[in-house]
Amino acid sequence: MSVPTLIAAVSPHLVRVPISTGVASALVALLMLAHIQFAAFQQGGYIILAVTDFLGWKRKDERQTRFSRGLVVALGATFAFGSALAIFAVLVLFLGLWSQFFVELVRIMFWPFVVEGIAFIGEIVCLYTLYSQWDRLANVRSLRVGLELLLFINASIQMLAIDVVASYMLTPRPSNSLALNLINPTEIPLEMHRFVGNIAFAGAVIALVGGIRILFSRKPEVRAHGDWMGHYGLIYAIGFTLAQPLIGWEYAKEIQLHAYASWYSMMLGGLSVAFLFQVFLLGAIFTVGIFYLWRRVKLGGYRSPALAVCTALSFASWLLISTPSSLAWSYENVVAANANLPIWQGGLIIPWGQMIPFKLVALITFTGVAIVALTVYLKHVTKGNLRWGDAGRAQGAALITVGVAVSLIMALMGYIREDSRAPFLITNKVLINQQQNFTPPSSAGPALNGPSSVGIIVPWDSVP
Amino acid sequence: MSSPSQPGRSALVAKLTRPVARPMAATYRWVDERMGISDLTHQLLYEATPRRGAWAYSLGSATLIIIVLQIVTGMFLLWTYVPSTTEAWESLNFIEHHDEFAAIVRGMHLWGAYVLLIIIGLHMIRTFVSGSYKKPRELNWIVGVLLFLMVLGLGITGAMLPWDQAAYWTAIVVTHVVDYIPLLGNWMQQILRGGPQMGPETLTRFFAIHIWLLPALLVPLIGLHLVLLRRHGEHGSWVNYEGVETEPEEVRKERMAKAEYPYPAIPSDPGYAVPVDLDDFFPSQVFKDAVVSFALVLIIFIMAVVVGAPLERAANPAALNYVPTPEWFFLPLDQLLVQFPQAWMIPVGVFVVPGIGTTLLILVPFLDRSPEREPWRRPEVMVPALFATLFLIFEALLAVNRLFNL
Amino acid sequence: MADHSQELAKQRLSRRRFMIMTINGVGAGTALLIGAPIVGSVLSPVFAKRRTPWVLVADIGQVPVGVPTAYVVNLPINEGWAVPPVPRTVYVVKLNLLGQVEMLTLSNVCTHMQCDVHWDINLKAFLCPCHGGLYSIDGTNVGGPPPWPLFRYQHKLVGNTLYVRNVLTGA
Repeated sequence: MSVPTLIAAVSPHLVRVPISTGVASALVALLMLAHIQFAAFQQGGYIILAVTDFLGWKRKDERQTRFSRGLVVALGATFAFGSALAIFAVLVLFLGLWSQFFVELVRIMFWPFVVEGIAFIGEIVCLYTLYSQWDRLANVRSLRVGLELLLFINASIQMLAIDVVASYMLTPRPSNSLALNLINPTEIPLEMHRFVGNIAFAGAVIALVGGIRILFSRKPEVRAHGDWMGHYGLIYAIGFTLAQPLIGWEYAKEIQLHAYASWYSMMLGGLSVAFLFQVFLLGAIFTVGIFYLWRRVKLGGYRSPALAVCTALSFASWLLISTPSSLAWSYENVVAANANLPIWQGGLIIPWGQMIPFKLVALITFTGVAIVALTVYLKHVTKGNLRWGDAGRAQGAALITVGVAVSLIMALMGYIREDSRAPFLITNKVLINQQQNFTPPSSAGPALNGPSSVGIIVPWDSVP
Repeated sequence: MSSPSQPGRSALVAKLTRPVARPMAATYRWVDERMGISDLTHQLLYEATPRRGAWAYSLGSATLIIIVLQIVTGMFLLWTYVPSTTEAWESLNFIEHHDEFAAIVRGMHLWGAYVLLIIIGLHMIRTFVSGSYKKPRELNWIVGVLLFLMVLGLGITGAMLPWDQAAYWTAIVVTHVVDYIPLLGNWMQQILRGGPQMGPETLTRFFAIHIWLLPALLVPLIGLHLVLLRRHGEHGSWVNYEGVETEPEEVRKERMAKAEYPYPAIPSDPGYAVPVDLDDFFPSQVFKDAVVSFALVLIIFIMAVVVGAPLERAANPAALNYVPTPEWFFLPLDQLLVQFPQAWMIPVGVFVVPGIGTTLLILVPFLDRSPEREPWRRPEVMVPALFATLFLIFEALLAVNRLFNL
Repeated sequence: MADHSQELAKQRLSRRRFMIMTINGVGAGTALLIGAPIVGSVLSPVFAKRRTPWVLVADIGQVPVGVPTAYVVNLPINEGWAVPPVPRTVYVVKLNLLGQVEMLTLSNVCTHMQCDVHWDINLKAFLCPCHGGLYSIDGTNVGGPPPWPLFRYQHKLVGNTLYVRNVLTGA
C-alpha cells in the first residue's frame, strides 16, 4: 500500500478539532508568549551567569559567586518548563491545529529548525553539567566559566535559528529560497532587538526577585542580598533596554520598507493603541528605573542633582511619548470622521503626540538620560557609597514595577508583531484562513511534493 | 670554551673584510662627525618603556608604519593617476587591466587604509582603557584624536578619487551633507564642488585635499605626537602601576630617583610618574613593534594581491539601478542619515550627534581626572565609551542589513 | 646719570618694541598678500554666473497616464572648464486630476542627500536607494528622511516635444 492510499484509508478516522480559527490563534499566542518569557530568561540569563561567575572569580567577590549559584538553579528549573511548553506547542498546537501551515513552514525553513533542535542537546549537556556539578567545578573555575559561555553561545545560535523563521514570516523575500531568506530585511534587526532585549529581560527578572525579597523577607541577611540582587539586575535591565529605541526604530523602518501593511497597522492602524501602550511601558521602565537609581544613591547618604534631573527628564519624556497622536482608535477613524485637524480646530489630532519629531525626541532623551544616570550611579557604586540592606519599600516596589513592565512589554511586543501580519501568516504568501487542519487528498496522489502544492501561495505582485 | 674555533674564525672574517670595512668605517666617522648620526641613533633608541603589556603598545608604531606605507604607495599611484573627471577612471582602469604591479600598489593603498583605520581604532581603545591620557599626557590624546579625524578625512576623500560609481555617489552625499549647515552650508557646498553641481572641479578639489592639504597637516602632527610621547615617556597600562597607591613614601621616592630616561613623567599623580617595572625600548619594544608591523604589512600585501582594489563602472549619474554604498568606516554615519528625518532634524543627526561625540572624545582627559587607572574604577568614562562603541557597531550592522536588503 | 641710563634703556626698549611690532606687522601683511588671492579663488564658485539653455528631451505623446517614465537628458555642466555634458534622468509623469491631465517633469535627485531615486513598481513609489526615502507619484515626500518633495525641472512643450532646462523649482 503506497503512502497516499494509506492516508486516504485513515482519513475518515482523523479527529476534527472542534475549535474556530480565532480560538486556535489565541491558544498559540498564549502558549508562545509564555514560552518566550522562559526562553528570553534563559538566553539572557546565561550571559549574566557567565559574566557574574567570572567577576566573582576574578575579583574574589563572594556575593557574586553565591548569586551565580542561585541563578544556575533558577535557570535549570525554568529551562525544563520552558522547553515543555515549546514541545507542547509543536506537538499539539502546531501539528494538531495548524498542520497545513506548519508542514509548509518547516519545509521552507527546514535547516533552521534542524539547528534549533540540535542546539537543545548542547543546552541540556552544558546546563545540567553546571546544575549538578556546580560545587565540584568550583575547583576548575575557568572550566565552569567556559561552560557558561558555551551555554550562552549555544542559546544564541538557537535564537538565531528561530529568529530566521520569525523574521521570515513578517518580511519574506519574494523568492522562497532559504539562502536569501536567511538574511531577510528584518532578520538582523530582530536578532539585535532580541539579543539585547533578552539580557535586559533576564536582568529585570533578577531585579524583580530582588524586589520581592526586599519587600517580603523577614531576615535582614536575605533582604540585604535581595537589595544587591535588585541593583545588579536593574543595571542590566536599564543598560540593555537603552539600546532598544535605536534598534527598534530601525526595525520599524525595515518593516515600513518591506511589509508596509504591517507597519501601517502597528503605527497608524488597528494595533496603534497597543503600540502606544508599548511605548508607555518603555517609558515606565526608564522612569521608574532611573528613579530607583536616584533614591538608592540617596539612601547611601549622597545627594545627586544629576540623577534627579535625569529622573525629571525621563518623566517628561514619558508623558510626551504616552500622548496619543489622535483621539481615535486608528488613523482611519480620524479620516472617516473627517477630523484630520488639531484638537483646537475641532479635529481629533494631537500635534505633540506625533511620531516625528516628538516621540523620536522622547526616545533619544530616554537613551541619553539612561546612559548619564547609569554612569553617575556606577561611580557611586565603585566609590563604595552604597550599603546593601538599606533598601526600603519604595526600592522594592520600583524593582518589581520594572520587572513587571519588562515582562508585559515582551508579551505585548510578541502580540503586536504576530498580529500585524493579519490576514497573512507569512506576509503576502500564506493566509491565516484554511491553514488549520491538514486535509489529506481524497484521491490518491502526491500529497507533499513541495511547498507550492499545499496551502495558498499568493503571488507577490497580485497583493492589493 | 664551547667552541674553540670561534675566535679563529672571526679573526679570519675580520682579516678578509678589512679592505672594505676600514674605508667604510672611516667614511661613517667622517659623516658622523658632521651630522651626529651616532648621537641621534642613540637618542632615538635609548629609552625606558613599561615592561608589562608591551605587545599592546606596538599598535602606535604599527600606525606610523602604515601611514608611511600609505604615503609611499600614494606617491607611486600618481605615476599613472590623472585627477580629471574624464580621465581618472580611465587611468585606474588601465592600471587594473594593463599594469599588474601598479594594481598591487593600488590594492596596498586601499587595504593599507582599511588596516590603518582598524589599528588606529585599537590604538585608541588601548590608550583609553589604560587611562594613558591622564596628566601630563592630555595634549597627546588631543593630538591623537585630531590625527584620527584627519585619517578619516583622508579615507573619505580618497574614496572619491577613482570617479567610478561608488566614488561619484560618495562625493555627492559628502558634499551635500555640508549643505545642511545652517547659513553657511550652501556656500560651503559650492566651494567644495566648485559650483552648485558636481563638475570637473569637484574632483580636483578633493584630489588636492587628499594628497596635499591633509597630509601637510598630518605629518607635522605625527611629529608632535612622537615628541610629546618622548617627553613624558610611555604610560603603558594599569598593570604597570599595581600597588603604587599604597606604597610607602620612601619606596616611591627611591623609585622616582632611580627612574631612567625619559621618566619620571612630570607633573603626574603621585605614584604614576614611573612604571614599576621597566624595559629597554631597544631591542625589547622595537622587536615587538617590528613583528606586529611586519604581520600587518604582510596582511595588506596579501589582500592587495588576492583581493586588490575594486573599480566599479565609470561614474554615471543617470544609472537608475545602482545602489550607492558608503565605505564601511562611514556606515554608522550613513545610518544616522536614515534615522534623522525631516528638514530640521537632519542637521541634528549629521552634525550635532557626531559633533557631541567628537567633542566628548577630545575632552576625555578633562572629564576623567581622578588618579584611577584601572578601568573598573572609572565608570564615568568607561560606561559612556562602552555605549558609544556599541552604538557604532549596531549602526554599522543595521546599515549593512539595510543595504543588503535593498 | 641714573636717569640718563634709564632713558637709554627705555629708548632701547622702544627700538626693540618697534622691531617686534614691525616683524608682526610684516608677517601679517605677508599672510594677507598670500591669503587674499587664495580665499578669492576658493570662494569664486559661489559668485560664478551660469547659463541654463533649453535641452530637448523627447516626443512625449506616447507617455501613459499614471506611469512615471524616465528620460535621460544630457544637461550641460557649466562648472569649471568645458567637459562633455553629464547625463541626468527626468521623470515625466502624467496625472489625471479630476479629468484634467497634468504633466510634471520631476528631477530624480533625492532632496535628502541628492542620490538618484527610481520608480519602484512594488512600492508604487519613488524609492531612494541611499537612505530609503519614499516619494509618491507626484513627488511628494511620503516616507524616510527626505525633507522636501522632489524638485521639478522648468519645462516647455512645443507640440508634443518636451524641453527642460537646468532650473529647479519646488513643488
